[in-house]
Amino acid sequence: MTLKDIPVVTLSNGKNESPYTANVLSGNARVLLQEIAEHVRHLLGTGESSAIDLNALPLTPADLDWLHETLGKGEIAITLESEGESTLNETACPGVWWVTHHNEHGAVASRFIEVAFVPELVKAHPEDIKIGLEHLELLISGLS
Amino acid sequence: MQGPLIDTLARQGVTRRTFFKYCATLASMMALPPSAGRAMAEAMAAAPAATKRPSVIWLPFQECTGCTESITRSHSPTLEGLIFDAISLDYQETLMAAAGHQAEEALHKAMKDNEGKYLLIVDGSVPLGLDGAYSCIAGKSNLETLKEVAKGAAAIVAMGSCAAFGGIPKANPNPTGAVSVSDVIKDKPIINIPGCPPIPVVMTGVLAHFLTFGSLPELDGKGRPKAFYGETIHDRCYRRPFYDQGKFAKTFDDEGARKGWCLFELGCKGPVTYNACATVKWNGGTSWPVESGHGCLGCSEPDFWDAGGFYKALSMPANPLKMASAAVAAGAVAGVAVSFANRAKKSAAKAGHETTTLADLEK
Repeated sequence: MTLKDIPVVTLSNGKNESPYTANVLSGNARVLLQEIAEHVRHLLGTGESSAIDLNALPLTPADLDWLHETLGKGEIAITLESEGESTLNETACPGVWWVTHHNEHGAVASRFIEVAFVPELVKAHPEDIKIGLEHLELLISGLS
Repeated sequence: MQGPLIDTLARQGVTRRTFFKYCATLASMMALPPSAGRAMAEAMAAAPAATKRPSVIWLPFQECTGCTESITRSHSPTLEGLIFDAISLDYQETLMAAAGHQAEEALHKAMKDNEGKYLLIVDGSVPLGLDGAYSCIAGKSNLETLKEVAKGAAAIVAMGSCAAFGGIPKANPNPTGAVSVSDVIKDKPIINIPGCPPIPVVMTGVLAHFLTFGSLPELDGKGRPKAFYGETIHDRCYRRPFYDQGKFAKTFDDEGARKGWCLFELGCKGPVTYNACATVKWNGGTSWPVESGHGCLGCSEPDFWDAGGFYKALSMPANPLKMASAAVAAGAVAGVAVSFANRAKKSAAKAGHETTTLADLEK
């Protein structure tokens, strides 16, 4: 028996799309806007940042695209290079950040919406700053 | 290996941000709230790396080495790999350079030096038939070896569905009398990490938990870590909205299948399967069965191998699912009749070169 003997008919939709790309909106993205707005109000009221794990929600790829486009593009785009690229981009709504972590093969490892003045990951850690200061002092002592 | 874990990682070129990013992703995979990623990172970064790496003994029994393949071919080199560096894998037949008497010596030395403290990982089921003669290593049956090594272990990790639940070797009619680790060992904490094979990061997650909190993670009723097996595939499936809307693929090549609708009617076991595939995915996050158009087989559940058919919808009566017994009896009778009808139809379809339907695949 060869592959041709298996009776499966493949229909072409003419657009050359992957058959398993769910290019359909589920309606779940629209309601997320409400939740994001609630997080923004919380940030303004208390100064506390928060995040939404987009991988934990039943969203189709089309939903994610819609949400990404709807939130728009803001002024700041941050790229972190560590074991794969991470992008932390502000959306057109200040304080709402679209955070995507890629693994070293470029695949998306996790995706978050972070509602914060500055995303946590961007801030330098005091321990690291101390090490940086030691380095600076070493540079200074070397110069003098 | 001294000082906080973060320093150990730093020496290997891992920055704090890389580590925090890893923890954010790990928390997402473990279905924890996003804030937990930060908390976990802080705790793990500060956790003192053990002065002596915890000893791990890995015993392979009646298995196909798929579990070892899954773990070792995760995506290297990664932070998972680095966390693995924090343990001392003293015995693993597939990976170790030693063989024969030297390998046995390594096993017994590790057992003696770390008595009561080592972590025992088992993959494969334990055959009890013919006094265990179906599977022997170094002249000893798996049963004898398991009992001997389990005695001094702090805890046991049953890796994969065979070790956790008996797996494929236990499938009807179970010719070797295969049983799970927990069927043999009753007096040690056992963590089941089922899956055929299990997801690599689940193993790392358990180790991370061990390193962070010095204890074993919380387990569910089947001995599985709740963090990874707390929700069903269905709960976190990206095709879930279509289930809710009643949109189902009816065959593997119809319009619904092309539009990525729910695979429930094609036999997807997602609604009764507890595992993290929907979020963690496979092959370094590339894809997972449902994303590539095939329903979940339920490989992390006990007896998935005998659960009545991979292409049977869960709503169809099948024996192992133990629905209302009357319904099962009626279904069974009807099933036999249908099976004969389908067999005839299948051969007719083959002769006539017609499209095979799902029912034909079943019988």
